[in-house]
Amino acid sequence: VGFDVVQLRRREWQKVVFNSSAGVLCLLAAAVPYWLIVDSGSQPLTITLLAATSIAGVVYSVLNTLLVSVPVSISSNDKYRTVARHIGTYDLPAIPFAILGLGLGWVYLELGAVVVPLLVVPILIARSTFANYLELRAAQEQTIQTLILALEAKDRYTAGHAQRVATFCEYVGTELGFTPSRLERLRYAALMHDIGKLIVPNQLLNKPGRLTESEFARVRRHEGVSVELLRRIDFLSPIAGDTTTEAATAAVGGAGLVEPAIIHVADAFDAMTSTRSYRKALTQDTAFAELRGGAGSQFNPDCVEALIRAIEARGEQYGAGFEVEVHEWGTAPPDAGTGSAGLGDVLPDEQRAPEPIDAVARRQATERASKR
Amino acid sequence: MNRAARIAVLAGGGAAVAIGADLSQPGTKWSALALIGGAIAAGELIELRPPYRAVLPISFAYMVVLARRASVADATLVLVVALLATFLVRTEPTTAEGRLALLVERFAEGLAAVVAFRAVDRAFGTATDRTGVLLALGAAAIAPILVAEVARMVRTRSFSISMQGRSADVVLVTSATLMGVSDTGIDGSGGMGLWGPLVFTIPLLGAWYSYEHLDRIRRTYDQTIRALGAAPELGGFVRAGHAERVASLSLSIGAEIGLSRHELSQLETAALLHHLGQVCLDEPDHGRAPEPGAVASSGAAILRSTPLLAPAGDIIAAETLAHRARQGSRPSVLSGQILKVASAFDELSEGRPDQAALAFEALSCAPAYLYDERVLAALELVLDRSGLLEPALAHADSAASGR
Repeated sequence: VGFDVVQLRRREWQKVVFNSSAGVLCLLAAAVPYWLIVDSGSQPLTITLLAATSIAGVVYSVLNTLLVSVPVSISSNDKYRTVARHIGTYDLPAIPFAILGLGLGWVYLELGAVVVPLLVVPILIARSTFANYLELRAAQEQTIQTLILALEAKDRYTAGHAQRVATFCEYVGTELGFTPSRLERLRYAALMHDIGKLIVPNQLLNKPGRLTESEFARVRRHEGVSVELLRRIDFLSPIAGDTTTEAATAAVGGAGLVEPAIIHVADAFDAMTSTRSYRKALTQDTAFAELRGGAGSQFNPDCVEALIRAIEARGEQYGAGFEVEVHEWGTAPPDAGTGSAGLGDVLPDEQRAPEPIDAVARRQATERASKR
Repeated sequence: MNRAARIAVLAGGGAAVAIGADLSQPGTKWSALALIGGAIAAGELIELRPPYRAVLPISFAYMVVLARRASVADATLVLVVALLATFLVRTEPTTAEGRLALLVERFAEGLAAVVAFRAVDRAFGTATDRTGVLLALGAAAIAPILVAEVARMVRTRSFSISMQGRSADVVLVTSATLMGVSDTGIDGSGGMGLWGPLVFTIPLLGAWYSYEHLDRIRRTYDQTIRALGAAPELGGFVRAGHAERVASLSLSIGAEIGLSRHELSQLETAALLHHLGQVCLDEPDHGRAPEPGAVASSGAAILRSTPLLAPAGDIIAAETLAHRARQGSRPSVLSGQILKVASAFDELSEGRPDQAALAFEALSCAPAYLYDERVLAALELVLDRSGLLEPALAHADSAASGR
C-alpha cells in the first residue's frame, strides 16, 4: 500500500492499476492453498496454521514476482528471467511477514486490540531504522561521487574513468558469479581505486610532455596512497591490494581475493579505450588483444576473459570512435604513446618514443619474476 | 566457527536437551524450559546495535518468557546453564575477564526480569487480569534494560542517561511483552505455546537486521571521512596526524562551549576534512604553502555539493569568511572559530604535548580580532584539564608581569 501512495502522488495510473490488480490476484491465489489446508470449520492445530500460512506466503510472493517481472522486463528491455530473479530477492523476504500476520490475527482474536500495538510498534521502528540506513547509504554514495568529481576535475582526461571502471568491474563480478554484497564492495573499491590521486599536484597530472624522474616518483606515490586509504575503511580493507603485483595474476578461487585483479583489468581496459594526454584511444579489438596478450603475466586470465565475454554479450563498444567523453584539445595527443597502456610497441621502431622509466622498471621486474 | 554457526549450536543445543527431557519423561516442564534456555543462549549473540547506545541482546526478550513460565529456582538454573553455554562459545568481548563480567551482568539482568515479574504479578494478585499480566510482563522486560544501564554507568563512571537510540529499547520491551502474552495467553485463552515467542521473534530480527545495516553503513561512512581526512597528510601537505588531532581538540572545545551533539558531529567532520581543499589546488611555487583562504574555499566548494557534508563545508568556509562578513549568529561561525583555533594550535604546537603551553601563549597573545575569546577560554580549560599548561605557567606569568 505504501508503494501505491507514492505512485499515486506521481500520477502513474497504469502502475497503480497494475499493482492493485496483481496484488488482488496474488492474494486470491494464496488464499486457495490456505483454505485447502485449514478447514475453516474445526479448531486447527498451531502447526497446521503455520504450515498453511508459510505456503500461502510462498505462493503470494512467487506469483507476485512472476507478474511484476512482466512489465518491468518489457520496459527495461532486460531478459525476463534476470528481472524475475532480481525482483524475487526482494519479494521472498515477505514470507516471514505472512507468518507474522497469522500471529497478529491470532492474538487479536484471542486477546483483543490492546496487544496489536505491541506488534506494530517494533515493526514500524525496524522500518524507520531501515529507512535511515538507506538514506545514509545514499549519502555515502553521494559523498564518494562528489569526491570522484573533484578528483576528475584535476585531470580532464580521466572524466568518467572511475564510473566506467566500476561498471566493468561489475560486469566481471557478475560473470564470476559474485554475491550482491560482494559486487557492492567491488563497485565501491573500483570507484575509489584512484582516490590517492588527490595528493598528486594538478600541474603534474596535466603536464604536457615527459615528467622528470622525481616528478614521476611523486605521481607514482598515488597508488600506494590509494591502497592505504582503502585499507582504513573496514569493509574495503580485505580487497585493498596492490594491483600491480603477483596478486593481479593469481587464479580465481585461489588463496587471495580476486578483486584487486579485476580492478586492475578494468582499469587497464578503460585506460586503453579512452584518450589520454599521451595518446588517443585505441580500438576495442586492439584493447582486447592487449589484455589477452598480457593475460597470465600482467593480467589475471580469468578476469580478462570474463570482461571480454561480458562486453561481447552486451554488444557494447568502447574505444576509438565510441568514446563517451570526447575532448577538445589544442594539440592532439599522438596516435600511440608509450608504456603498456600507451602501446608504444605497435609503432615501428623508428617512430617509437623512448620508454618512460616506469615501463622499463616494470618490464625488468616482470622479467626477473619470470626467470625465478 | 562463525557467528551463524555459534548461534545454531546454542539454539540446537537447547532443542536437543528439550527433546532428551521429553523422551525420558514425557510432558515435563523441563523440555519447554530447555527450549527457552537455548533461545536465551543464542539470543545473547544477536545484539541490537542502536547508534550512540550500548548494545542490547535479544536474549532479554526470552528472559521475559522465562520469567513467566518458571519459578525463581528453575529460572536461576536455566539462566546459569544458558549463560555458561554462551560464555563457552562467544568470542566477544575478547578478554576472558570481559566475558566473565558480561556473564555476571547478564545473570543479574535475567534475575531482575524474573523478580520484577513476580513482584508486579503479586502486587496485582491475579494471573487472570489482562492489565495485570501485561504490566507484569512489561516490568519484566524493562528490568534487565535498567540493570544493564546501571552496569554501564558503573563501568564508565558517567552517570548520565541519554534518550538517544531508545527506539531499540521500545522494540525489545514491546516484543518481549508480546512473546510473554502469546506464550501462555491470559486466563487460559490465547496461548500459542512456544510458537508464540518464536513467531514474535520476527519483528526483533527485523529490527536487528536494520540496526546492523545502519551500524555498518555509519561506520563505513565515518571511516571514509577519516580516510579522506588523512589524504592531505599522506600527500605530505600537512604534519602527520594533524586532521585527527584537530578533530579531537575541536570536539573537546565544542563540548566545553556546549555545542549540541549534532553540531559536534558536523564540527568533527569539518575538522577532519579542513585541508581537503588543498588537494584540488595547483601547487604553488617551491616550498610555499597555498593561501589558507583558497584551501578553505575550494574544500568548502567540494563539500557543499553533497547535502550531508554541506554543513561541514559551511564551517570550513566560515573560518575565513567570519571576519569579512560578520555573519553574527549563524552556528557555523562559532564552529568555524573553534576549528580555526584548534588548527592554529596544532600548527603552533607541532602536535607535541610539550609545546602546548607555548602554543597557547602564542594564540592568546595574538591580536584580539584573530581568535574568538570564548573559544580561547574554552581551549585554556581543556588544556588545563589535561595538565598541558603546567610546565610553562611560570614562564607565562613572568611574561605577563613583563608586559
